Amino acid sequence: MATLSSGLETGVNRRAGAAAGWLTRERVAPVVAGLAILLVWEVVVATQLPDFVARPSGIIMAVPETVSSKEFWFDVVVTLGAILEGVVIGSVAGVLVGVAMGRVRELNWFLSTYIRALYALPLIALVPIVIIWVGYSSTSRLVIVIISVFLPVAVTTADGTRAVSRDYIDVGRMFGARTHNMWFGIALPSAMPFIVAGIELGFARGITNAIAVEVLASVPGMGMAVFTKSNELNENGSMVYVVCLAIFAVSVRAGMIRFRHWLAPWYRGATG
Amino acid sequence: MATHESFAGRANRFRTTNAWWIRIACYVSSIVLLLAAWQAFGNSFGVLFVPFTTTMLRLWEMLVDGPLLAALFVSGELYLVTLVFNIVVGVTIGLLLARSKLISAAFEPYVYILYATPTISLVPFVSVLFGFEFWPRVVVSVLISIFPILLGTLEGARSIPRQHLDVAAIFGSNERQLWRDVIIPYVTPFAMTGIKQSIALSMVGTLVAEFFLNPDGIAALMLEGTTVVDTAKVMAITVFVAAIAVVLVGIGELVEWFLVRWRHSAVG
Repeated sequence: MATLSSGLETGVNRRAGAAAGWLTRERVAPVVAGLAILLVWEVVVATQLPDFVARPSGIIMAVPETVSSKEFWFDVVVTLGAILEGVVIGSVAGVLVGVAMGRVRELNWFLSTYIRALYALPLIALVPIVIIWVGYSSTSRLVIVIISVFLPVAVTTADGTRAVSRDYIDVGRMFGARTHNMWFGIALPSAMPFIVAGIELGFARGITNAIAVEVLASVPGMGMAVFTKSNELNENGSMVYVVCLAIFAVSVRAGMIRFRHWLAPWYRGATG
Repeated sequence: MATHESFAGRANRFRTTNAWWIRIACYVSSIVLLLAAWQAFGNSFGVLFVPFTTTMLRLWEMLVDGPLLAALFVSGELYLVTLVFNIVVGVTIGLLLARSKLISAAFEPYVYILYATPTISLVPFVSVLFGFEFWPRVVVSVLISIFPILLGTLEGARSIPRQHLDVAAIFGSNERQLWRDVIIPYVTPFAMTGIKQSIALSMVGTLVAEFFLNPDGIAALMLEGTTVVDTAKVMAITVFVAAIAVVLVGIGELVEWFLVRWRHSAVG
């Protein structure tokens, strides 16, 4: 991150450089800020708001009770399991369709209207019709996660395999590559960073949309638990689930970014 | 060797002038085929599916009779307020964070954590704090859609070349001149890229807020249809929402196109 070092305030830079060792102002600042946020939250809720509103101390106290309950682990397993299953299915399907679209122009033209339109559509708008088609069941959640992952992966894979350098294709042709070699031996590996960026985006959307389906279709899971606990005025217990979801989402994002940097240090990633 | 020749032949064929009508044919045939299949199989799944014509008629009815138009105004209001909030608050926070290295180091991790956290799970907390009316909806909607603008502005303000700031300092710019002549012109394109994304993303925020905080607007209309399995209604609104989404993405791309032209003419 070269841009990090060219911050606007040069004075802070110089002073920070003077601080010896690893205990720099930039390292201490997030910890101080984090504690300050928690403190302000705690004090405001304790002094200004009704007792049942979630606050940091209450959330920490609610951890043992929540984590020791059977439902908690049931919710974690079904929700995260469904998300992972959907990510795997959606990624594989997205890669296959994406490679085909990237390498066969007619297919790209044929499918792109729908893929792009669905890609533009907020997927939450598909939840009602999926509930009608699939029912108020956990299958709806799986279907929505699969679509959430499939679309970005198909789009990025198509873009990536279309952008394969002419030289690779020529070399491949010279060594007698057949169509499947071209697709899976040349185009697919060189599109890898695009694909990982697509999965990264799809994963994040999959988590959000899985929770959305749980709440709208009353499917048991972590998202449903956040809302039911809150309805029972167990706001702190509800927030324990939120914190777990946040930890999961943040680690997935960090892990995917690290994986992408390892795979292709030059690629900056998809946005949105 | 036949494979190679056919591959090369195919590649060449695309570069000939014939490609455009193949392309048009692909687009047209895909739309015609989908509509035909939709129409043909429309009645074969009982109440779960309705033909294309039924869907369109229902859409027309709802538009003329009013419920959809009324819902569109409700959702549109939330959408516009969200977008304005995103632009004003997102750019402001982005600039504030970028202005001091220490402040950005302190708060950036939390901005990213909030960005990664599934916002829907924060809906109960927001409703406990603020209730279920218009402004809580704005809060949820903004939480979902503000980050591209905020982070884009931050990134832009951070990447202002040191030389620009040094030149401004040498010529004795005061704070106001620094902002007017250096920071704002430099950051604008970055913020605009975020705004382009936010034009589409604010719609996601609007729908989520309407679905989860005491259903209202278009989302409420869809949920009504779902509970009574009024398939035609839900399909019609889904198509309608998809059309709006495509238009909004198009507007976003138009914004970007103007921006690129403007940037080229500005850089020269």
